[in-house]
Amino acid sequence: MGKFADDGRHAAEANYRPLLSEAGRKQAMAKLKSGDMLAKASRVIAMRTAELRGAVLALVDQLEEAMRAQDWPTVFAATHEIRGFAETAGLDATGRIANGLCHYLDSIDQLGLGPDGAIVSLHVDAVIRSARTEDDAARHGDAVAKQLAALVARKLADVKEAARS
Amino acid sequence: MSGGAFDHLKALVVEDNQHMRTLLRSLLNALGINAVFEAANGEDAFVLLRDKQPDIVLSDLSMKPMDGIDFAREVRMSKSSPNPYIPIIMVTGHTERHRIEAARDAGVTEVLAKPITAANLFQRIGEIVDRPRPFVKAPDYFGPDRRRHAVEDYAGPFRRRDDFENDLAVR
Repeated sequence: MGKFADDGRHAAEANYRPLLSEAGRKQAMAKLKSGDMLAKASRVIAMRTAELRGAVLALVDQLEEAMRAQDWPTVFAATHEIRGFAETAGLDATGRIANGLCHYLDSIDQLGLGPDGAIVSLHVDAVIRSARTEDDAARHGDAVAKQLAALVARKLADVKEAARS
Repeated sequence: MSGGAFDHLKALVVEDNQHMRTLLRSLLNALGINAVFEAANGEDAFVLLRDKQPDIVLSDLSMKPMDGIDFAREVRMSKSSPNPYIPIIMVTGHTERHRIEAARDAGVTEVLAKPITAANLFQRIGEIVDRPRPFVKAPDYFGPDRRRHAVEDYAGPFRRRDDFENDLAVR
């Protein structure tokens, strides 16, 4: 590349240009820390909540279809997308349950194993229900997410123990 | 409305989900960054990086055909990279340790975990503006220094254990 002072070990900052001038940096930091700016940006997110909720529900349809077909890569992809969106869409319990399923699928994949269909199914059912029935999610979502997280922790501990013995 | 400090900056958002792209664009616009370019994957982003010369990149991790990790590595290491020094914020729901480490080792500047909040996004941009990290060149890495915390009494230039070992061997 030849863009840095090559001393053979640690690169220098020869062509590295700060994003802003010193005056600009101070102005930018004041803006980033301003309560008004934060409130404005939070309103931007709030204005998109309904749109994002629609996107989550479309992903939930995909997830349901993938689960029916036992299409694990699509189950993982849809769950991952739901995890990224749900809480921004105001579906907190859905996000937490999806997060638990992602954690399980990623961990099991790291161990080189296939997922337990029952564990996946329990999570997918809970994701679907919490996303589609907001009242239920508000009343029971936290409890369901905690129970499923405990189930995943126990299952992963069992799998790791079995792998060791 | 004038964006003040940010209004002359250009941003590139790389994200395969259109809703998330729109959300990020809106947040950047609110901050005053009006020139926001969008790409749905790493390959398209690389073209925009060359053609539009943005100042900052916000990139998703999971995308096809080129994901965010490969994109970051290409930006930092490729001889054809238009700007190996550009700050890259990886916006991802994949918060597992091994994925974060992979992003860091590809040369990502900051990681922003989904779900996105305005406060978290601003905090990451603030890190880039206020505490830019020096770049490091190693045989298999070029990018921001992966050590987050400076050592108070560090007098440089060596910091790695094998630096000291190699130095002693030379002596």
